[in-house]
Amino acid sequence: MAGESTLRLKLEDFGTFVIFTAIYAAGTLGLPKIPLLAYQIKIGEMPSAFVAIFGMPAVFGLTLGQFIANLGVEASPIASLSPLFSFIGLLIIYYARKFSTLAGCIAYVIITSLWLTFLLPISSSIPMTEAGYSAFIDQFIAVIIGYCAYVLVSRTMLPKAQAASN
Amino acid sequence: MKMGTDAETLPAQPEVHVPEYLEHSAWPVLIALATGVALTGLFFLFKHLVLLAGILMMLSFGAVLVGFLYSETKNWASAVGKSLPRLPRDTVLGPFPVDISLTIQIIILTELLLFGGAFGMYFAIRLQFPFWPPAGAPILDDFIARIQTLILISSSVLVEWAVWQLKRGRQRAFKAGIVGTTILGSLFPILQFGFEWPHLIFNNILTPASGFFGATFFLLTGIHGAHVVAGVIAYVYTDIRAFMGQYSPKNHGFVEATSTYWHFVHIIWLVLFALMWQGSRLLG
Repeated sequence: MAGESTLRLKLEDFGTFVIFTAIYAAGTLGLPKIPLLAYQIKIGEMPSAFVAIFGMPAVFGLTLGQFIANLGVEASPIASLSPLFSFIGLLIIYYARKFSTLAGCIAYVIITSLWLTFLLPISSSIPMTEAGYSAFIDQFIAVIIGYCAYVLVSRTMLPKAQAASN
Repeated sequence: MKMGTDAETLPAQPEVHVPEYLEHSAWPVLIALATGVALTGLFFLFKHLVLLAGILMMLSFGAVLVGFLYSETKNWASAVGKSLPRLPRDTVLGPFPVDISLTIQIIILTELLLFGGAFGMYFAIRLQFPFWPPAGAPILDDFIARIQTLILISSSVLVEWAVWQLKRGRQRAFKAGIVGTTILGSLFPILQFGFEWPHLIFNNILTPASGFFGATFFLLTGIHGAHVVAGVIAYVYTDIRAFMGQYSPKNHGFVEATSTYWHFVHIIWLVLFALMWQGSRLLG
């Protein structure tokens, strides 16, 4: 669990790292986006809030997951920079967890949707306004669904797990 | 201040007895050389260069392997006998034979080099084509691959849960988790070698001879599949030791090493899934 603020990963963190990589990559490549009204919700974005529980292994895992997911889709070379912006957003969630995970999640949504607002018109010739609007709503819904799951887990399962550890 | 010698300052270390037959063994060098000869022989055979030389080289590799197994099997009974008996509760085994985390790090590094080379080959070939997969390559159905992905994710989560339970001394939950991981893991090669490969090859959808895409597909998924089989064998061994009571909250290095290897195999699969199945759908 993300108890201390350190970038050092240990061998025992490898499992968490791989599981988050798999959730993002398989959730993006293997599962269809969830249609919600006019929006397409990407499952891979949902676990972002869980960075506040699982720490740096989850940050690196989700970033690598996005990189792997990008290997499987036809994208312009500039799209390969997307994991970098996600990484920055995830770091903000991680460091903001002591004050407000929700604020970190909103920062993540803003950073990633700003990047998509710039990227989508280049890669798929969507007008910038439409791209920005769509990217923000898609990201916001996905991350907030994940945040609700995070709140549920952190208030119900996490105290039990910590009690079992002690 | 007088500086003491190592013997004076360090606590007494238990004497580690290294069996005589492990010292200065020539087998690693011989097997490495024989593997090189065998690969050269394979090259001769596949290229139809000097068939007799190719066959002789393969036979020499086989002879070295038989010799190795013959010389080693006489030690197996005592090695297994020392390794597997039921241990008293809370027995802490010493590092065997060195710190297991270093061992697994070296293994993962060598695997990274292997798969790095294999993926390097894939991208080098891919760059030769204006678009990929090349014309004529099929769009692969990813139904089985999705199930395999789900199996690997489930097994990774399950083994992490099992290790977590073991660290808290819950032996029954640990055993259930580790056996579940073994069962899930064994489903992966069954799906790959029992369903997907025969389906592709016997229906002439994709074979190793159907161009660069087919060759790279079977090479990469084959190497990965072999690693999954190795992981399942490691888990079977881990299960046997678990049911003999050899793991405890203080002694779980081997379980963690096995799970680390398994996670690595999992992450390689994700890259393969993205490149081979999702990548092959781009033409569709």
